[in-house]
Amino acid sequence: MALIETKELTKIYELGWKKRVVGLNRVNLQIEEGEIFGILGPNGSGKTTCLKLLLGVLFPTSGEALIMGKGPLDVEMKKNVGFLPENPYYYDYLTGPELLKFYGRLFDLAPETIRKRTGELLELVGLNDAKRLALRHYSKGMLERIGLAASLINDPKILVLDEPTTGLDPIGCKETRDLLLRLNQEGKTILLSSHFLSEVERVCSRIAIFHRGNLIELGTLKDLLVQYEASTLEDLFVKSIEKFDQQHPA
Amino acid sequence: MKKIWVIAQNTFHESLRKRTLYIVLVFGLVVIGASKFFSFLTAQEELKMIQDVSFSAIEFFGALIAIFGALGAISSEIEKRTIYTLLSKPITRYHFVIGKFVGQILILLVNFLLLCLFFVGLLLFKKSVPNIEIFKALFLIFVELLLISSITLALATFTSDAFNIIFSFFLYIVGHLTSYGRQLIERTENIILKGLGDMLYTIVPNYENFAIRDKVVVGVPVSWQYVGKTVSYGLIYIVIAILIGIYCFQKREV
Repeated sequence: MALIETKELTKIYELGWKKRVVGLNRVNLQIEEGEIFGILGPNGSGKTTCLKLLLGVLFPTSGEALIMGKGPLDVEMKKNVGFLPENPYYYDYLTGPELLKFYGRLFDLAPETIRKRTGELLELVGLNDAKRLALRHYSKGMLERIGLAASLINDPKILVLDEPTTGLDPIGCKETRDLLLRLNQEGKTILLSSHFLSEVERVCSRIAIFHRGNLIELGTLKDLLVQYEASTLEDLFVKSIEKFDQQHPA
Repeated sequence: MKKIWVIAQNTFHESLRKRTLYIVLVFGLVVIGASKFFSFLTAQEELKMIQDVSFSAIEFFGALIAIFGALGAISSEIEKRTIYTLLSKPITRYHFVIGKFVGQILILLVNFLLLCLFFVGLLLFKKSVPNIEIFKALFLIFVELLLISSITLALATFTSDAFNIIFSFFLYIVGHLTSYGRQLIERTENIILKGLGDMLYTIVPNYENFAIRDKVVVGVPVSWQYVGKTVSYGLIYIVIAILIGIYCFQKREV
């Protein structure tokens, strides 16, 4: 059984009188345990919509989104998931440790576990020196890093990351990539959405390309490169989107 | 239960950082304090004036805190997008709505107690020991504030802030006038108007039920039975409002 699965997942946004926009169109995905799966696509292609549907923030118009065989609103399932949203926003009056404590308590973690995990995670994301700083004083990169730490507070089996390197400098990006690979080696399944092709190229075992709400390609990078006679992921990305636009003019 | 408490504590801490809350509180204290300057009246009348003004100030400024607090509790989570992360955690949407309401109860309680302490302090300063009737009146005002807060919170789960503010204040005013409205409707012979009036009278909470201050100020005792009935009346409305809020928020996409 796939760890993350979508079946004919469709989301249509109702934007007023007779105005509808297709956010996601009958998407079928199966992500196996231990994978680092990357969702690629231009802005507005449906990447974030797909992740929000998986986590129950949005509701599907039709189809199903399953994690560990459970629906997006299942509380037990959510205990195994860590989520980092795009441009993470947090309660800016809290400090990093307070934020981690707040989320840790929502996971029913024991105070001792929260204290231990907080120390480890702040060290891991390099925010130990900013312990006493309220989040409103954090830079964009620091927010991204505390967000990553917050997504790991429950030591999740599944990590869902929406644009995890936005706002990070090149060193931060590399550190995040290394961290994702390490977490994957420890057994975590990672689903990440990104439009940074190089990031996806370096860490993902399989990719899906979304465009205009459709899943237009799915497979290993190696197979897709051969299929499109492309030399790089960028080349593959452009060719797949052009092919889709030719076959399905807007 | 624990998750509701965690969300409530966070809501409370967030509210403590809002300046509007302190401004409203200071205004409330100023109005209560100003009531003592009616010293040109006789001692007896001055005490009545202090009580009357203080009850009104506690209720009005409490209502402002109840409406603006409940309004921001949900909409700020959505506007600041903190809700995305929160809903991805192992909580249900009813944990969220109830947690927000419990947080509002805490913030209302703190503000209410501060205003009450100031009021009681003023009475003691005037060498008047507050009797149990005063505490009955204060208690009913607090239940009324909880009801106002629960209605605004329920509305916040499915309406815009602007609509919510207008509707909550409208309901606050209408809720204090329903008894008069009832008397007017009883005089009409139009069946449709009568039916509509009866329906509105049943749906709209009658806030005047909680206002026993007029009796307390003139020294008319209010029975515990009335207090119990009115509290039950308030609790029923609060439960219905919160259930509506939970239902609407479960359907809402954020």
